[in-house]
Amino acid sequence: MLCWGAVKWVPETAAYDEAFDRSAAPRSHYRPLVTTLESFTLTEIARRERLQKISLVDQGITFTVYGEKDGLERIFPFDFVPRIIPAREWELIEAGLIQRVTALNLFIADIYQEQKCLQDKVIPPELVLSRKEYKRELLRVTPPRQIYTHVVGTDIIRNDRGEFLILEDNCRCPSGVSYVLENRNLLHRVFPEFFTRYPVRSIRDYPRLLLDTLLWSASRATENPVAVVLTPGIHNSAYFEHSFLAREMGVFLVEGRDLIVEDSYLYMRTTGGRQRVDVIYRRVDEDFLDPLTFKRTSLLGVPGLMNVYRQGNVAIANAPGAGVADDKAVYAYMPALIKYYLGQDPLLGQVPTYVGLRKDDFAFMRDNLASLVVKTTGDSGGYNMLMGPFATRKEIDAYATQLKKAPGNYIAQPLVELSSHPTWVDGSFEPRRIDLRPFILYGETIRVLPGGLTRVALRPGSYVVNSSQGGGSKDTWVLAPRGS
Amino acid sequence: MGRYLERSENLTRLLLVTEDISSETQGLAEQVAQSAWKDLLAIFPSSHVGPPASAFAPMSMAYLAGFYLDAGNPYSVHYSLRRARENARSVREALTVEVFLALNETFRALEAHARRGLGDPPSFRDALTSTHKGLFTIVGAIEHTFTRDQGWLFLKLGEALERVYRTALILRAKLPGLAAAEPRADVALYYTQWRTLLRALGSLENYRRSYGARLEPELVVPFLLLDPHSPRSLRYGLEAVKDQLERIAGGGEPTAAVRLVGRLHADLAYQDQRVAGGGADTAFLERVVDIMGQTHDALSAQYFVT
Repeated sequence: MLCWGAVKWVPETAAYDEAFDRSAAPRSHYRPLVTTLESFTLTEIARRERLQKISLVDQGITFTVYGEKDGLERIFPFDFVPRIIPAREWELIEAGLIQRVTALNLFIADIYQEQKCLQDKVIPPELVLSRKEYKRELLRVTPPRQIYTHVVGTDIIRNDRGEFLILEDNCRCPSGVSYVLENRNLLHRVFPEFFTRYPVRSIRDYPRLLLDTLLWSASRATENPVAVVLTPGIHNSAYFEHSFLAREMGVFLVEGRDLIVEDSYLYMRTTGGRQRVDVIYRRVDEDFLDPLTFKRTSLLGVPGLMNVYRQGNVAIANAPGAGVADDKAVYAYMPALIKYYLGQDPLLGQVPTYVGLRKDDFAFMRDNLASLVVKTTGDSGGYNMLMGPFATRKEIDAYATQLKKAPGNYIAQPLVELSSHPTWVDGSFEPRRIDLRPFILYGETIRVLPGGLTRVALRPGSYVVNSSQGGGSKDTWVLAPRGS
Repeated sequence: MGRYLERSENLTRLLLVTEDISSETQGLAEQVAQSAWKDLLAIFPSSHVGPPASAFAPMSMAYLAGFYLDAGNPYSVHYSLRRARENARSVREALTVEVFLALNETFRALEAHARRGLGDPPSFRDALTSTHKGLFTIVGAIEHTFTRDQGWLFLKLGEALERVYRTALILRAKLPGLAAAEPRADVALYYTQWRTLLRALGSLENYRRSYGARLEPELVVPFLLLDPHSPRSLRYGLEAVKDQLERIAGGGEPTAAVRLVGRLHADLAYQDQRVAGGGADTAFLERVVDIMGQTHDALSAQYFVT
């Protein structure tokens, strides 16, 4: 434990510490922040933390936890110690993400069009075609401008050697960007002193870039195409974000019942009459988008929407069917797919992955459950996951039974020691594990928001950063290059 | 009273918005932060700001203290709110209880901050936010409880005159620099400054409803000058001034003030959007400032000089 000024710092010993090196000295890009924090008294930090909590409550920055008895709406915990990414590290992340999203879009386009990668056995056809996220109904349907992945949130972690690794792709409805923007606002208000010694790149431009991206995919040749945000409604876990983005972009937030299909065009009901809609930023799962094509019982979607989409009269971001790229088994093949489509080696590495569909991998998984992290291929949010090294024998046996029933639905990875970051916990700075979700926009060009959602596992020793399971978040600073 | 309340609200909003952009840019582009604060001296011309308390104090502290709590600065929130309260006390029998209570409570809370002193920007922000809420409470109480008589018309006239005058000064201070900025140098910073201008004029949300998140100068400037529905556009403000003046005159011969404002309003109402989109028409903004001054003098001569 280190004691500088009034506050105690506990550097990480088991994993890569973002802020301190092995000799427990602050890394150069964290030095000014550590110095600033040391100038605060404990009382002052407590006062600022109080202001921060009041601000979060007053502004209603919340998320919803399904199945909670003690109230649906929760404040997303925020830790005020920012995560800092120097310009040279960000250059690599940005280039790696642009490369990956380019390949992901080509992959999705391919599996819904010519299926060359399947014919060439780059990825087993049964792995792709058997997924429920693969929508046969959309075979040979080309979205406007051939863009499937308008908004991608890719999860990145850092291993014990300090290397950035891709953990997961989110091509369906990645959420969290509203917290990225609000976290920055909050930190500006509560700890403005932090910013005085850092050239922190601005992220406030995101709503403009997002709108730009959405309107770029509009198929109608009009000066003022109309975009809307489609939400499942107020009870959705990310409703705050849906309303936030609609407001920030200055577009309508609509539910399925606000939209109507007529003569292969999509219209929005307004008090001034019907208005044609060109682009939907959908925050509704694709299975619920159109009861005539997907789930018949869906009340959240718009009957006939997919027909409008097939005719090319509306763009949907992200494109229905894009979710197949989020599959954790598809992830295992991403390095090969990048090579296949772009002829390049991946700029960012990823976690070695065993795919239950492959016989040898399954045998290894079955015999080594206690040392592996096992996930179901279609789930997200940290649900239905086995953390082998921390599980009881009983839990492992129960999971093994499930695994044997449908091996193809599982993948396994070695436990990666996520990097950790100083986090304010009960009066001292303690290491807590983090990841990073940058947001990538695919419009006329591919743009990466300089920052992202740094999620933090607030429980001591925990590796689970998901908000639904006790995670919080931090502001993420990307520093401008020197001299810019 | 209307004029001082409006000035207090303008000041409070400007301080909050300037503190935002200042903390956002001071490490990235310090000159942007500095000029944001210096612009306040152009918007409130005869105001003064003392030297910073120490060489290590954030640059915003001197401005926050000078424009919020300094009772001697004729353009501080403290001074403006005190004057509004003094005016209110002198016509207390004509005010509703709700209005006087809201005004009194907001001023007393501000006085308490001034007595205790505020040591850092977050404390200022907290206090400013609270004053801002108080000001909206006062305005809401006026709107909901006042009889629509001559007193109400003068109050709304004062509010509208101050709004138009200050909007013109803000645009005059900010537009030349913004129009000269180069978007390619730092795109995010460039648009942040345009967004800040809209926030400084309380117009960001209304602008978004018209144009979404696109922040092109050729859309922003005409919106701030000419939009007929946004309550803080110059055109809307002038219409409010003209309307109150005509109602006060009661349908007789146009007074000097009505003629001055009527001509300006007509100019603005029929101004070509493309001309306004040119960016910084400072000559026109000078004229607005000048005519608002003349209108104020004409009104004083007509109604208040005995």
